[in-house]
Amino acid sequence: MTEQQQVEAELHERAVALFRRSLHIRTFDSGSCAVCESEIRLLSSPYYDLHRLGFFFTPAPRHADLLLVSGVAVRAADHALRKTFDAMPEPRIVVAVGACALGSVFTEDELVHGSVDAVLPVDVYVPGCPPSPLALLHGLLVAVGRLEEKVQAFRFDLRERNPA
Amino acid sequence: MITAAATALLLAASLWLAAAAAGGLAERALGLRFATVLSTLGGASALVGGLLVAVHGAAAARTLGSGDLVGAVTLRVDPLAAVFVALLGLIALAIGLYAPRYHTPGGGTAWYTTVYNLGLLASLGVLVAGNATFFLVAWESMTVCSYLVVLRNHRRRGVARAAFLFLALGETGFALIVAAFAILAAHTGTLDLGLIAHRSSVVPAGWRDTVFVLALLGFGFKAGLVPFHIWLPEAHPAAPADGSAFLSGLVIALGVYGIALFGFQLLPQGPAWWGLLTLGLGALSAVVGVLYALMANDLKRFLAYSSIENIGIIVTALGAALVFGAYHHRELEAFLLIAGLYQLVNHGVYKTLLFLETGVVEHTTGTREMNALGGLVHRLPATAVISLIGTLGIAALPPLNGFVSEWLIFQGLFQGFRISNHLTGIVIVVAGASLALTGGLAITAFARGFGIPFLGMPRSRRAAEASERGQPIVGPGLLAAACVALGIGAPIVLTVLDRVARATTGTDIKARLLVPNLTVIPAHTGFSGFSPTYLAAYLACIAIVPVLIYLAGRPRARTRTVPVWDGGILAFTPRMQYTATTYANPTRVTFDAFYRPEFHVERASDDPAGRSGPVHYRFRVMPIFDRFLYAPVIRAVRWLADLIRPIQSGDVNLYLLYIFVVVIVVYLIYPF
Amino acid sequence: MIWFLRGLRRGVVTTRYPAHADPWAEALPTPPSFDPQKLTFELAERLAAACPAGALRRDGPDLVLDLAGCTGCGRCCEVGGEAVAASGSFELATHDRGSLLKRIPIGADRD
Repeated sequence: MTEQQQVEAELHERAVALFRRSLHIRTFDSGSCAVCESEIRLLSSPYYDLHRLGFFFTPAPRHADLLLVSGVAVRAADHALRKTFDAMPEPRIVVAVGACALGSVFTEDELVHGSVDAVLPVDVYVPGCPPSPLALLHGLLVAVGRLEEKVQAFRFDLRERNPA
Repeated sequence: MITAAATALLLAASLWLAAAAAGGLAERALGLRFATVLSTLGGASALVGGLLVAVHGAAAARTLGSGDLVGAVTLRVDPLAAVFVALLGLIALAIGLYAPRYHTPGGGTAWYTTVYNLGLLASLGVLVAGNATFFLVAWESMTVCSYLVVLRNHRRRGVARAAFLFLALGETGFALIVAAFAILAAHTGTLDLGLIAHRSSVVPAGWRDTVFVLALLGFGFKAGLVPFHIWLPEAHPAAPADGSAFLSGLVIALGVYGIALFGFQLLPQGPAWWGLLTLGLGALSAVVGVLYALMANDLKRFLAYSSIENIGIIVTALGAALVFGAYHHRELEAFLLIAGLYQLVNHGVYKTLLFLETGVVEHTTGTREMNALGGLVHRLPATAVISLIGTLGIAALPPLNGFVSEWLIFQGLFQGFRISNHLTGIVIVVAGASLALTGGLAITAFARGFGIPFLGMPRSRRAAEASERGQPIVGPGLLAAACVALGIGAPIVLTVLDRVARATTGTDIKARLLVPNLTVIPAHTGFSGFSPTYLAAYLACIAIVPVLIYLAGRPRARTRTVPVWDGGILAFTPRMQYTATTYANPTRVTFDAFYRPEFHVERASDDPAGRSGPVHYRFRVMPIFDRFLYAPVIRAVRWLADLIRPIQSGDVNLYLLYIFVVVIVVYLIYPF
Repeated sequence: MIWFLRGLRRGVVTTRYPAHADPWAEALPTPPSFDPQKLTFELAERLAAACPAGALRRDGPDLVLDLAGCTGCGRCCEVGGEAVAASGSFELATHDRGSLLKRIPIGADRD
């Protein structure tokens, strides 16, 4: 990375650190089967309770810090997705949620882009079909830097379980 | 000073006469300009003359021809009339500056110019009339000239009917006015207005009451008091814009002049119920006017109803003045007279301005329909700014003129508690509450009247393509400056009006009206006070503070400009906006019992899912007065006429019989 | 009142996460874990064919698992028998898309 890119990355990290205990999330469904949305909805339930972490859902992108995108990024949603992203003030984070958004389900054709990072700059990828609320919580906390990424260290070639 | 004033007025009259004569030249552009310049100079002259007389504060009269002869003409300059003369001058001045760019030179414009200037002359005649015959002749000339002004575009649909309605109701009022003058002249034995005023105590009480009621109703027809107002919303849209401005700014004011003439000068010291009747009619006009104004989608019709509302407010103030006078509260009588005259002058200024700007809008977009306009602030910026000043004035928002005069009227009404009679006190309180309701509805009405045409997105192609090139700006701009000046310069205006009130009612309340520090108090210290000048200065100063904060704290970080968040839709369309009808809908629902609208809904099929295509929705407010007051009267007159018709059979033999019978009867009666 | 005093004493209102391990997390469907010693090329091909999401494919000497595409359905566990079991790992979020591709060496054929 050049020095400017390094400085920008550090600036972004420090800005993102402001969201650690107070984050407003705006969800966007860019063409999913709505099961990811069900899991996201469960985050507000008393069992998973998003609010105890200081995270809130907001409908207004002007108030949002994080854009939670699910679905394959259908071309019909381009205009709305771009407008939503543009309306968010910086610093902002984009999290792609689910197998569709990560590009593993549909390839690019005349109806879909195939993955969200073809349209937006994605910061965190949360895999799963659908990702459980616990996986989502982990993903959000990784996005704001409260938890570390684990998957890089995971090995899927051992009979023993990976550390939790 | 009086000679100077008289000279100025004479000059004005001659200039208008010359302009009328030169009207024939208006077939050419140069001729039109020449005639309008004469008219403008006449206006300036009248303005100066009126102001001189008002400042001088005393009346003077001169008779041409010998004393009590019917043909003699007495001219009188009087401070009360002088206020109206000054208003006439200002309006003529503004319209004169506006007319060359509004009218296209041609035959129609030629005779219109002639008729309009004769109308100005006749109005001046009404205001300087010193005896009853001259007054009536001038009044009738003014009515006829105004009728011809309304008929300018007589080939358009509805114009002839509107003009006829104006004339018919005007003549009905005139009949009542003639009756009033006739009774007065018969009892006082003179036609001279000054002498009538002196001898008015000779008239028996019952006749005095009759005369006052006749005058109130007769002049009420011209002023547009409810229920005599139905000609206003028809005639104003039919007339050309400067004709409407003349009608609304001045001709209606002459109706108020008549009421003031009879109430304060010819029949002074009347009983309280005169004032209460006037007050009641005024309050009713104010409320009815603004309620109908909210339902009007045509800009000119809307302004016409707003005129009815303002006249209601003015007449309420005058009525309250009469009431206070009857209970010997001289200061409050003078105070409310001042407040009423102030409101009248303000109305003349901003209503004329608004009508002139409506003319510009109509010429540039081709329509007066609010639902077809929109976004004109981008296309017609100067017009929008001037209209905004006029709208803020008429909505009575500080620090402009409308606020000052309405504040004065309210302060006067609030002091109704000083009257010992409880019933009178209650009526005054109800009138005050009606004016408060009117004020609130007027703000809604004018937010709609300015917001829908000027703000938002254009609702039709012509509104999107309007251009301000070649449109008149100086005339309306002058009136906008006058609005601001009349508001900020309230102390000066009140000084002048105080002199007028002193001449009219004999009470000088300058000390109880204007106190040091340019503060206005409502005739009694310790009640309330307010300084329009300082308020304007204060508002200007505090408006600087946010500007300074912004300049000082301008963000140094990089800013990114993005469109307004709209939910991610593809684009705003003009159909997504409020229309004039929907903006006024909450009011329509609240006052449903008053409006009693008739709805008409048409759809291509009954498919509930909306797939049947557009739905056409029309609703029409019930015209209460037309249906329940005028229609029965007209039916009764027709019935009576049918009854009498057999007399006019067309048979010559029957007519010869009539002659024979009458001759016999005369021979029988003659010896006695 | 107690709640208020507790809140005042605690200061920060948000909780640490995770406060304790979730007892139901063991029941979640998770991506598979392989025993390289028990994998053969032929088994790898059968596993790739069995995966309905196409998250498994044989690439040369390795079995590539795309964690992004895995739905945790468990069909590879049924087909693979002793070679495959659920990994129990579901906290798979990452900044880097590439780290979601895991290579498992197919070891039974390697000497």
